[in-house]
Amino acid sequence: MGIFTQTIAYGILVGAMYGLITLGLGLLMGVMKFLNVAHGTFIVLGGYISYWVFTRYGVNPYLSIPLVIVVMFIIGLVVYKVTLSPLLKLPSIGNRLNSSMLITFGIIYVVDNLMTILWKPDVRSIVAPFTGRSIELFGTKFSVTGLCGFGVAIVVAVALYFVLGRTQFGKHVRAATQDAEAASLCGINVHRTYLISSGIAIALAGVAGVIIVSSYSISPNSGLRWLLVAFVVMILAGEGNIHAIVPAGLILGLLEAGGVLIVGAPYRQVVALVIFIVILIFRPQGLFRKRRLTYG
Amino acid sequence: MKIDLRSILVLAVIGACFIVLPLAIDLGSSTMNILILLFVYIILSQSWNLLGGFTGQINLGFAAFFGCGVLLTHLLWKSGVPIYLAIAVGGLSAALLAGVIGLPTLHLRGAYFAIGTIALAEALRILVGNVFPSSLSLPGTYASNFNVFPRYYLGFGIAVLTMISVYLLVKSKFGLAMVCVRDDEEASQVTGINTFKTKFIALLVSAFLAGLAGGVYSFNRFYFHHISAVFEPIWTFEPLMAVVIGGSGTLIGPVMGSIFLVVLSEIFAEILGEAHLIIFGVLLIPVVLYSPSGLVGWIDWLKKVIGGVGKPLVSEER
Repeated sequence: MGIFTQTIAYGILVGAMYGLITLGLGLLMGVMKFLNVAHGTFIVLGGYISYWVFTRYGVNPYLSIPLVIVVMFIIGLVVYKVTLSPLLKLPSIGNRLNSSMLITFGIIYVVDNLMTILWKPDVRSIVAPFTGRSIELFGTKFSVTGLCGFGVAIVVAVALYFVLGRTQFGKHVRAATQDAEAASLCGINVHRTYLISSGIAIALAGVAGVIIVSSYSISPNSGLRWLLVAFVVMILAGEGNIHAIVPAGLILGLLEAGGVLIVGAPYRQVVALVIFIVILIFRPQGLFRKRRLTYG
Repeated sequence: MKIDLRSILVLAVIGACFIVLPLAIDLGSSTMNILILLFVYIILSQSWNLLGGFTGQINLGFAAFFGCGVLLTHLLWKSGVPIYLAIAVGGLSAALLAGVIGLPTLHLRGAYFAIGTIALAEALRILVGNVFPSSLSLPGTYASNFNVFPRYYLGFGIAVLTMISVYLLVKSKFGLAMVCVRDDEEASQVTGINTFKTKFIALLVSAFLAGLAGGVYSFNRFYFHHISAVFEPIWTFEPLMAVVIGGSGTLIGPVMGSIFLVVLSEIFAEILGEAHLIIFGVLLIPVVLYSPSGLVGWIDWLKKVIGGVGKPLVSEER
């Protein structure tokens, strides 16, 4: 019995982190129809900033989150201004999607190799006094870093929910998502809305990076591994369905923990791929949506 | 289909050069290896272009098909299967793999195909890394009677065959359907094109050619330190880069892009090491944004400028 509750506990902790990883990707995809293939790379970059602050000044990784948010927000603004905003002129959504994939695929190579030069290709992780400790609750063990990651994921997801659902800016974002042209006719500055959403999306990737570097490890080219997870969660949640992302992450975490129990840890990604293909065959619109997608 | 005699003559002369030159002059093994790599890149970029440039489906997991060809060719060759058969089987297995990912994803519009292929390549990379953790090498007898010529001519032959088949495919009715799907999927469906079938067949052909490229690459190597390296995203990035820089949706673009890429990486890799990829990435972004027709577009522009010299400024072109 112990192993089952332990697996479920592990699945929930990892799943919340999976949700956190996906938030930025889902925001960019949902609002602007940009598929950010470099999302994993930005996650790793956020992790490196936190790692750097930790080794330099000994700052607790969770306290460095505000700094990471600010830095990554600015990087997000620059990325949007320089590389993504010209795509808005393209005639169709399909063109915009394809070009954004190509461009962010190029960004991967730029940022990956810059990180290799700056931080060497070694695998890095933050080893704080609480790393590796665990707390026992109800007879199951929870790792401290996992619990902290869970807490951060929930706080960030709730904050994003409030920003999108309850503020004026959120209203603008939702309007621009539904119909950018009509929104701009109503006097909403769509470009500014997009700009700030991009900043938020990249900042969210940075926060995910902090959680990863403190409970896992990062290396300059490990971004694709996290990107893959984010893709699967996004498909589970349904494209553009931002509020379903954290629940979808929890589902993936639980499914994966169960699958790993059966086939072994080295095949974690293969389990994710199988889940991905099964979802695409049976529920391509995501788990949380009734509407069917138009087939092409 | 109009056949232009002059361009056929030019192509024949270039082809003859590639055939005769290595026999006439001793180019040295490093030059020969670069040329073989160039052929591999030409095959890869042509097949990426068939799907990405002509059909409009961005394949971000192209390395999966290439790596599948490399791995299977290597294993079959090692177990005593004749090399040419092994390469063909490698290509077919890549096409099979493409079917597995294409069936669920190509039915849907949007980013699903790109996401599916990138997930496939990444999962395969990890799976292969787990199954073959140590280095792979062929027995010494294979290396002792090494001869670069069959590898060179095989690479050249498959590159030429690839170009001819892509040309014929694009010029056919099916090619028209591919371009239609790229330009407007809904409209082409309305006119009676089976869009899924078009995309799926283009994917299968593209994956088969990528598998053949893997076979050529595998034929030229006896030792793989980590076989999972052939599944790394760099093998997606470089063909994609060659197509975009050269000019996507054209026949000659991928060839020019491959030459550009191989020459540049030979120059930069010596000076900068791995960091030369930064330059490629930085180069890719403005080309996608501001000059989507790539090198082909620049050459057209140059032709117009040079052809325009001495003519009245206001042309009667309409």
